[in-house]
Amino acid sequence: MLLVGDQHARGWRFALSTLANGLPFVFIIAPLLSFVVYSFFWVEGGQMHFDLTLRNYTRFFTDAIFVPVLCQTCLLCLMVSVFAVLLGYPVAFLLATLSARRKYMLLMLVLVPLLMSYIIKIYAIRSILGGNGFLNRFLLWAQLIDQPLTIFVFNLNAVLLTLTMLLIPFAILPIFLSLERIPKSLIEASIDLGASNWQTFCRVILPLSLPGVVTAASFVFVLAIGDFLTPQMVGGPSGFTFGRIIYSQFGSAFNWPFGAALSVILALVMIVVIALGNRFERRT
Amino acid sequence: MMKLSRFAYLALSALTAIVFILLYGPLLVPIASSFFEVAHGNVQWDMPSLSAYAALVHNEGIITAFLNTLIVGFCATFLSMVLGILFAIHYRNGTSPGRELMQFVIFLPFLMPPIMIGLALLIFFRETDISRSLLTVIIGHTVFVLALAYRTIVVRLKSLSASFIEASYDLGASSWQTFFYVVLPSLKSALIGSAVLCFALSFDETMITILVTGTDNTLPIRLWAMMRLGFTPDINALLALILALTTAMCILAVRYLLPTESADNAA
Repeated sequence: MLLVGDQHARGWRFALSTLANGLPFVFIIAPLLSFVVYSFFWVEGGQMHFDLTLRNYTRFFTDAIFVPVLCQTCLLCLMVSVFAVLLGYPVAFLLATLSARRKYMLLMLVLVPLLMSYIIKIYAIRSILGGNGFLNRFLLWAQLIDQPLTIFVFNLNAVLLTLTMLLIPFAILPIFLSLERIPKSLIEASIDLGASNWQTFCRVILPLSLPGVVTAASFVFVLAIGDFLTPQMVGGPSGFTFGRIIYSQFGSAFNWPFGAALSVILALVMIVVIALGNRFERRT
Repeated sequence: MMKLSRFAYLALSALTAIVFILLYGPLLVPIASSFFEVAHGNVQWDMPSLSAYAALVHNEGIITAFLNTLIVGFCATFLSMVLGILFAIHYRNGTSPGRELMQFVIFLPFLMPPIMIGLALLIFFRETDISRSLLTVIIGHTVFVLALAYRTIVVRLKSLSASFIEASYDLGASSWQTFFYVVLPSLKSALIGSAVLCFALSFDETMITILVTGTDNTLPIRLWAMMRLGFTPDINALLALILALTTAMCILAVRYLLPTESADNAA
């Protein structure tokens, strides 16, 4: 390979391998390690103590608020991934049936919103959902309701809806890829043997696309649970999520070690979710 | 895929339409209102005007933030391209287990939630006494987008047959000549495509940036700060411009990254 056979390039080769091993170490491993180490420090009265203890972790399990908020957040993100998959599957299926040219056009249209300003999207969704927003005004105008709805204003429902709207493209892509990988011959065989389209879908296509569905769901879950800006913006005081608690430890509460410990716990939850997804994928 | 019945096709199209309303609906209202006059906080739908765009030119906070975003985007993209090529060549140069580990470490920031990468870098910068500035933002973005650049480049480099490189050496080219005349040209489309994607990701990166930035704001951070007070009409104009820009970048990325029509038919 490149630089290998060349005697003059020995120095360059050495420099290259130093760089390739050193830079990831300094800018990725070292920050993550210092992060984990920080989670064992502790803070008292605004003063940071640099001796290693487990008190951040015991606080997490003994204090009555943190475990319920984590469970609630997991449930919320689970619902986000279920909704995103349910909405994304038909789109992915339609994409898979289209001809190559139209397929990539539509796929691009699915992906463009991902590159658009995330903050402005949250803001726009918030102003549409708000008490005096577009949705309520439309429903009032259509005389479907006579009082503005408040179920989507500054609470967990609003977080659920906003995260789903933001993350649908992440659900569509893996499902689409798994549908594309299904060999055409299997579908043709099913039809030749007299199965209807619906039977072919239920017995052949759906089971074969399940790994993609699981990937999509775990993808969306991980992205949703790591998001702290959306709940901050649309959640109001009642829409408290785990991500917000972590963020507040680095802002107003100013307890970095505790925030780091909470993030380590969040990471463990995510590793479990990804591992479960992988296991399921391998089994099917 | 199978041939759909008319009913199934219509049903799927209807569901897809709903998803597209969810995806694009939130953006249409502000974009549409950017072309109209706003008075007393209400959009005057009967008064088309471009005053929002004119006001945008005079909004210095936004323009500075936009320039900062461009600087960060270009630097992070450039760095991740250069490092991506170097790391990919290093990865292909041998098969030691250390390389697999290095590859995993490079992917980590993309697999982990941004809040953790952001916090880890924040703690790291504090411990190493690097004060937060645009430089720390550039480092944060590079760490994040490098995974994507590296992945695209290494995949393309794997598909480059070793015999091309051997042929180049046999014909008397040095390592540098081989790199510039054989390897780099074959990476061209992967580089352009991933550069566009990296830039687009960096352009909208919010969660890492908000943690590692100092007093210099990038556009998303500026918008985040403004959001508490509510947006002025010129933000709608900005949104329309960003939409146009990102769509153009996305079309470019799709052109260079996705298989072309002929390759698709052949497969």
